[in-house]
Amino acid sequence: MIQVKVKCFSHVKYALETDELELELERETTTTRLDKLIREKAKGKLDGVSLRVAVNQKYVPEETVLGDGDEVALIPPVQGG
Amino acid sequence: MIKVEIVSGPIDFFPPDDNHRQDGAELTFNGRVRATEHGKNITALEYEKYEGMAQTELKQLAKETVQRFPINDLFCRHRIGRVNVGETSIHVVICSKHRQEGIDSMSWFIAELKKRIPIWKWAILEDGSKVPSECVH
Repeated sequence: MIQVKVKCFSHVKYALETDELELELERETTTTRLDKLIREKAKGKLDGVSLRVAVNQKYVPEETVLGDGDEVALIPPVQGG
Repeated sequence: MIKVEIVSGPIDFFPPDDNHRQDGAELTFNGRVRATEHGKNITALEYEKYEGMAQTELKQLAKETVQRFPINDLFCRHRIGRVNVGETSIHVVICSKHRQEGIDSMSWFIAELKKRIPIWKWAILEDGSKVPSECVH
């Protein structure tokens, strides 16, 4: 098993009502699988919200395999400016 | 020169500079908070950032902009936290030899910022409640 920290912002924070989650996941879990898990936790509140994924503060492609101790952010559409 | 900052209080504007002897254009963009969002009155926007990544991505974007366009200076300050209606949330100054590259680079920089910099807005409604902004403009 691996431990990852999930940072929550904007719609994700609103849906999960937290800034951060600590999750224990099976080895070889991918970002795509984590996206699905988070959406299940949100119970429909993230339906229609597109999410990019950053691992250790860098955008990564789909299906990136997570490692122990990774910091993951599921990033809703950004809105700077 | 590049200068990029994310600040938590009111923005100090970069002053006009009369020492740019090779720059014929100095463009300034100020983004301000509108009083309405999706037809609802708001009192403020609250900006949140992904600490660390927001600064890194903003610096990288500024570097890409000066590499992509023939401009000499790009200065940007983005405000985080509560920004009341009418106040400035982002301030950008670009200096270039001619106006067109300044205008083009400003447009590109702002457009890219809104695609990739991990900063979000929460709308503060008149009843004091706070909800994720739906605005992506």
